[in-house]
Amino acid sequence: MRRPCPIRLDFVAPVHQAPLAGVALCLAGLAAAVALGTAFDRELAERSRLDAALGARAQPHHRAPTPESLKSAAEAAAIERELSVPWTRLLAELESASHDTAAHVSLLAVEPDPAKRLVRITAEVRNLPDALAYLERLQKSAVLRYPMLESHERRKDDPEHPVRIKLSAEWRT
Amino acid sequence: MSPLWRDEIAIYLAPRKIALVRRARGLKPRVVAATELAIPTGTVGDVGPLFARLADALSESTWQGAAARAVVGDAWVRYGIVPWPAATRLDAAGRLTHARYVLGDAYGDALAEWAVTLADTPPGRPYVACAMPADLRSGLEDTLSQARLTLVSLQPQLVVAFNSWRHRLPADDTWFVNLDDGSLSAVHLSNGAWDRIHVARLSPDWSVELDRVLALARLTRAAGALGRLFVDAPACMRRDAAASDGVEWLEEGHGDGAQAHALAVLQRMYA
Repeated sequence: MRRPCPIRLDFVAPVHQAPLAGVALCLAGLAAAVALGTAFDRELAERSRLDAALGARAQPHHRAPTPESLKSAAEAAAIERELSVPWTRLLAELESASHDTAAHVSLLAVEPDPAKRLVRITAEVRNLPDALAYLERLQKSAVLRYPMLESHERRKDDPEHPVRIKLSAEWRT
Repeated sequence: MSPLWRDEIAIYLAPRKIALVRRARGLKPRVVAATELAIPTGTVGDVGPLFARLADALSESTWQGAAARAVVGDAWVRYGIVPWPAATRLDAAGRLTHARYVLGDAYGDALAEWAVTLADTPPGRPYVACAMPADLRSGLEDTLSQARLTLVSLQPQLVVAFNSWRHRLPADDTWFVNLDDGSLSAVHLSNGAWDRIHVARLSPDWSVELDRVLALARLTRAAGALGRLFVDAPACMRRDAAASDGVEWLEEGHGDGAQAHALAVLQRMYA
């Protein structure tokens, strides 16, 4: 049986009331917002917990270096530097340079300085123009840069009086 | 008492009686005090004895410091059904003016100074207008303020009784009659809404008025339909009129008369 509508009439209180469906919808929305907020808060807490766990796991162990470890590290660095010398390319380039200068250059020593990435070359030539030609050839090298003639000396004790020269250059990586 | 859930005092005012119910609110609202007081010298035209008795009752701490909901007996109230104006769009003030005009046309110029309020009704449908003496409301507010009571609701008895009983009423071709303390109010329902209201002052032989309502129901009922008549009345009236034909009494129980009826009105309001 259909029921009559209520009469909303009052001399004091406002009679414009929200319908029950509106109130229910409002409550449902409020409940949903609270549930969502609670779930979000829970997820946020979980994320913080995981972040903290990850941070604790990834944190490096800082230990005070011992003299032994410092020594080992220095040795390892030295070995690494030695190994970083491009011997194959360097020797091939020097050989090529000697060949280009018609074998007027006799290589006596090649000393690398890995710390400074520097190579020192000791050689003997017949005269100074040959030394300059050799230097000019090295300046065109793709392996070396800044070749410099550091010293030259005529060997009077040698019957052919060759000129001993010392060069230095940096090697390219 | 929580400041968010203040206790409520329900007050029933009729020319010759007052009823008070204090209700503690909260998760489990409950009635903590109830009383009904007679005003032997009270009349419809003189509200002085009524407010004097009310002020005396409210001097007790039991009835102080709460929100107040008042129900005014229909002896002081005039009702009207105001048609929705067909061609004019009216705002709230326009509808109130229109309602005053309709009520003045029905009851005369005496209502010019009365307080008028309208029922909340969807646009396009006739709405219920209600008038009561302005000094009744102001006198009530003055009396309540002395007891630190804030008036939050003021409704006529017919509206309160109808809303309490509407779950028992059919929506179509039904009369709902409310009887109490010298007044009879009858409202006719059609399509679930009020379409006629009849208010009368009861003679000592109140059954004469009830017979008039029955006659009115017979004369105005839809062709071929048998309208029903539901009556909300004090137990003493129900006993006297038990033999009335075609009347369905709404109030049940075995109260000892009119004294209990006003309290029942207030308590049903909260049901």
